[in-house]
Amino acid sequence: MNPRVIKALLKKDFALFTSNRFYLLITVVGLVFYVGIYFVLPAQLDEKLSLAMYAPVMPPAFSQLTKHEGADVKFFSTEESLKQAVLDGDYQAAIALPPDIMDTWASGGKPEIIVYYASTAPPEVNAAIVALVKELSYAQTGQALNIETTEEILGPDMLGNQIALRDRMRPLLAIFILLVEIMALASLIAVEIEQGTARALLVTPLRISELFIAKGLLGVGLAFGQAVLFMALVGGFSHQPSIILVTLIIGSAMVVGIGFLLASLTRDVTAVTGWGMLILILLAVPGFGTVIPGLISDWARVIPSYYLTDTVSRVANYGAGWGDVGTNLAILTGITAVVIWAGMLTLRRRYQ
Amino acid sequence: MAEKSIIVENLTYRYGSLMAVDHISFEVGAGEILGFLGPNGAGKTTTVKMLTGQLRPQEGHAILLGRDIVKETHAVRSQIGVCFEQTNLYEQMSALDNLLLFAELFGVKGCDGYALMKRVGLDGREKDKVSGYSRGMKQRLMVARSLVNTPEIVFMDEPTAGLDPVSSEAIGNIILEERDRGATVFLTTHDMWEADKLCHRVAFMDQGKIAALDTPHNLKQRYGKRSLVAEVAAGTGLEKREINMDTSGTARAVEELFEKEKVVTIHSEEATLEDIFIKVTGRRLTE
Repeated sequence: MNPRVIKALLKKDFALFTSNRFYLLITVVGLVFYVGIYFVLPAQLDEKLSLAMYAPVMPPAFSQLTKHEGADVKFFSTEESLKQAVLDGDYQAAIALPPDIMDTWASGGKPEIIVYYASTAPPEVNAAIVALVKELSYAQTGQALNIETTEEILGPDMLGNQIALRDRMRPLLAIFILLVEIMALASLIAVEIEQGTARALLVTPLRISELFIAKGLLGVGLAFGQAVLFMALVGGFSHQPSIILVTLIIGSAMVVGIGFLLASLTRDVTAVTGWGMLILILLAVPGFGTVIPGLISDWARVIPSYYLTDTVSRVANYGAGWGDVGTNLAILTGITAVVIWAGMLTLRRRYQ
Repeated sequence: MAEKSIIVENLTYRYGSLMAVDHISFEVGAGEILGFLGPNGAGKTTTVKMLTGQLRPQEGHAILLGRDIVKETHAVRSQIGVCFEQTNLYEQMSALDNLLLFAELFGVKGCDGYALMKRVGLDGREKDKVSGYSRGMKQRLMVARSLVNTPEIVFMDEPTAGLDPVSSEAIGNIILEERDRGATVFLTTHDMWEADKLCHRVAFMDQGKIAALDTPHNLKQRYGKRSLVAEVAAGTGLEKREINMDTSGTARAVEELFEKEKVVTIHSEEATLEDIFIKVTGRRLTE
C-alpha cells in the first residue's frame, strides 16, 4: 500500500466530488435542512390533558381536577359554548355536569354526566375521559372501587422524561445524512467506469486495493464527517459520545460497502440515482421506528440499518451503555464486513 | 534488431467461443515503432490489453522489458505509458491536475507538467478544465499523460483517429521524438499513410492472427507492384498507360512509349499498405 498514491486519489476524488454541483448541493443543503428540521420541531412534549368543562355546580372532587398538574381544564359558562369549542377543534374532549348533580348524588341517584368528543379524537382519549369521570365520581361519593391495582413499568420509566419528537427524529436524520453518501460515492465510481478513467488508472502501477482504500476513506470521511457535525449541532453527544462515534463510523463503513455494491450493479449515474433512492428508502425504514415506537415490528431487524438506528436511538435518547448495545454493534460490524467484502468483490469485476 | 522490448509468444485470448487473439508471436526491438494494423474486431485492442496487463492471456505469454506481464504486472506498468483511443480524462479537473495526478500514481517526483503541456502544444491552457478542450486538444493531452513517467514502451491506440491534420502531425512528431529518445512505440492505427510514414515495421492483424509482419518497404517489395503511369495525348483527350517496373523489359517499354506516343505526364507509382493489406488478407482495413 502506497500512502502517496492513496493521498493523490483522495485529493482527486474530493476535487471531483466538490466539482459535482448536484452532490455538493444535496450534501450542504441536506445538512442545513436536517439541522433546521431538528430545531423547528418542539423541544418538549405537551404532557397535559387539555379538557373543557361546563360545571354549573362544582362537586369538590371535580374541583381537584383543576389543581392536577397533568390536566389543563378550561371552564365554560354555557353548555352550548362548550360544545362549540369542541366543534372548533380547540379541545378533543369536554365534560358537561348537570345542574342537579349534587342533589342526585344526595338522593342516591345516578346523575347524567355528558362527555363530548371531537370526531378526530383517538379512542384512547375517549377511554381516558370516561375512566377519569368514573374515578372522580367515586371520589365524590366516597365509594371506593372494588378493585386493587398494581403499576409496573415495562422498559425505562419515562414518566416526566418523555422524549421530544425532535430527539426521536435525531437518529433518523443522522441516518439520512449517512445514506445520501451511498449515492454520492456510487455516482463517483460509476462515472469513472462509464468515462473510462478507471481504465486509465489501472494501467498505472496503482493496485486495485489502493483504489478501494481511497474510495473507502472518501466515503467514510464524507458520511462520518457530516453525521458527526449534525449530531454535534443537535446535541447528540450528550450521552456516551464514544458509543455514538463508534456506531457512526461503523455505519459510514457500511455506507461505503453499499455504495460499492450499488456502483458495481448499475451501468450509469441515472441507474445509480434510481436504485439508490430505493435503497435509501428501504434503509431509512428502521429510522421511522425510532420516531413512532411500535410502527416497525421485528421484521425490520433484517434491514442492516436497523442496528445502526436502534443503537444511536438507545444511546442518545435512553442513555444505553456499551453493555446494552454490544450485541447491536457486533451485528452491525458483521453486516458491514460482509457488505464491504461483497462490494469490493463485485466492483473488482466491474473495474476489470 | 537491437535489444528486445517486447517478446510475445503464442498469445491467445477468447471471448466465449470467439477467438479474439489466436496464438500470435512477435518481437519488438528497443527504440522501434511497430504499427499494428487491422480492421475493427481484428484483435488489436485485445492484444494491447494483454500487453498492458488489463487482460490475462489464456495461453502464451508476453515479456516486456524482460519481465512477464502476468507475473510482474506492476513493475512493468511503471515503465509503460498507454494512450487510449477513447478520451478518458478527468474532464472536471484542469489539464495540469490530470497530468500531476498520473505523475503521482507513477511515483514521478518533480514532474514538470508545464513542459509536457508545451511539448504537446497546449502551453497556456494548463489550468483550463479539460471539459473546455476540443477533441484534438484532449487527444494531445492524452498523449502527454502517457508520457508523464518517461516510459520505455508507449502504447498508442489510434492516437490520431478523427483528428484535424495539425493535431495529427503534432502527435506524429511526438511519436518520432519518443523513438529518438529510445522508447519503443506500439502504434495501433487504421491510417496506412501514418503507419507507412512513422513505423519501422508493421503487423497486419486479421481475425486474431498476424497475417504479415515486416517493414513497409519489404512488404511493398514482396506483395506490391511498382509501375510507371503515363498520360498520353489521344485525340482531344488523355489516355493512361501503365508500365510494370519489375520486369526485364521495363527500359524498352519506356523507350517505346516516348517514341510512339506523345507523353503529357509520367510518374512512378508503388503499392500502398492498404493495397498490400487487401492482397494479404482479402479484406479492406475499414471493413
